[in-house]
Amino acid sequence: MDVEVDGILVAAHELKAPLAVIRQLALSFDEMNDKNEHIRDEMVSVSERAIKQINDLTKLKRLEEGMFEMEPVAIRTVCDEVTRELDYLFRFNKRDLYVKYSSRAGLVVANRELLYSVIYNFLLNAMHYSGEETRSELMVRDYRDKVRVSVRDYGPALPIEVWREMQRGWVEKPTAISMRPGSSGLGLYIASRFSRYMHANVGAVRHRDGTSFYVELNKSRQASLF
Amino acid sequence: MIFVIDDDEIMAECIASAMGEHEVRIFGNAISAMNAISNDEIPEMIFLDILLTGPDGFTFLNELVSYDDTARIPIVVVTSLNLEGRDLSVYGVVGVLEKDKMTPSEVREYVEKYVG
Repeated sequence: MDVEVDGILVAAHELKAPLAVIRQLALSFDEMNDKNEHIRDEMVSVSERAIKQINDLTKLKRLEEGMFEMEPVAIRTVCDEVTRELDYLFRFNKRDLYVKYSSRAGLVVANRELLYSVIYNFLLNAMHYSGEETRSELMVRDYRDKVRVSVRDYGPALPIEVWREMQRGWVEKPTAISMRPGSSGLGLYIASRFSRYMHANVGAVRHRDGTSFYVELNKSRQASLF
Repeated sequence: MIFVIDDDEIMAECIASAMGEHEVRIFGNAISAMNAISNDEIPEMIFLDILLTGPDGFTFLNELVSYDDTARIPIVVVTSLNLEGRDLSVYGVVGVLEKDKMTPSEVREYVEKYVG
C-alpha cells in the first residue's frame, strides 16, 4: 500500500478512538447522571488529546514547506510549560509527574513549537500507558555533546523490534506497538519527524518495568555567552 | 454478574453504566478476567473488546470456548475493528457492537435478552 495512504489510515484509526469515546460519553449522560461532572471532565480531556493529534498532523505538511524556524530555545521553560499544561490531566488520571533537570545547558537548537509537541506527546503517552498511582518522569540532562530530554513510563515494555528501529534515531512510518493497545505508533512517528526537522534524534530505552522515550537535541552555542 | 473487558477505562464505564442495576465487573485485560473466572466467578454475560493489553480478545475467546463451564457464556464483542463478514458464533459471540456506532440502548437490549 502507498505509504501516504497507509499513513492516512493510521491517522484515521488513531482519531477514531477518542471520537468514539466522546460520542459514548455524550450518550451516557442519562445513565451516568450522578457523574455529570466526571463525564464532562473526561470529554474535555479526550477532546483535547484528539485536537492535539490533529494539530500535530497539520504541522507535518508545514514541515515539508520549512515553515518552522530554528532558534535557541530555553529547554527548561518549554518543559515547564508542557508540565504545567498536563498537570491537571495527570492529577485527573491519578498519575504523578516527576520532573528533574540536571542539564547545564540552558539553550538548545530547536523550534519551540515542535519541541513542545515532542515532549507533550511523550508525556501524554507515558500517562496513557502507565497504571493508576504510578508516576511518569521527565528528565533533562547532558548526554555527550547533546541535551537529552527523556520521559520514563511504567507501562508495558517496548517490543524489541520497535526499539531496534529506534536505534537509528528516527522512525520511518507509524507502526502499531503490539504491547501498547490502541497505539498506532502515530505519536511516536510525529515526534520522530519533528525531531529530525530539528536535527535531533529520538530513541528509546527498554526497562524491565516500562520504557523511556527520549529526544537528543543539539546545544545552542549561544549558551556559552551566558 | 456481567463482565466488561476493555482496556479503555472510560469506554468500559460507559458500557457498564448502560446496564442499569445489573452487577458489573470491569477488567482492563483478558488475564485478570480469566483469573476471576478461574476463581469460580462465572459471569452470565461478557462484553469484550478485541484489542487488549497482553492477550487479545480472540485469545480470550479461544480460552473460554475450550472450557466446559465457560463455552456457553453469551459474549458481545465491542470493537473499533471492522469484523464484517466474520462468523464469531463458534466462540459464543451473540453480537458485535462497533464502538463508533453503538448506543447505550443496544447494550441494554443485549443484557435484557441474555441476562434478563
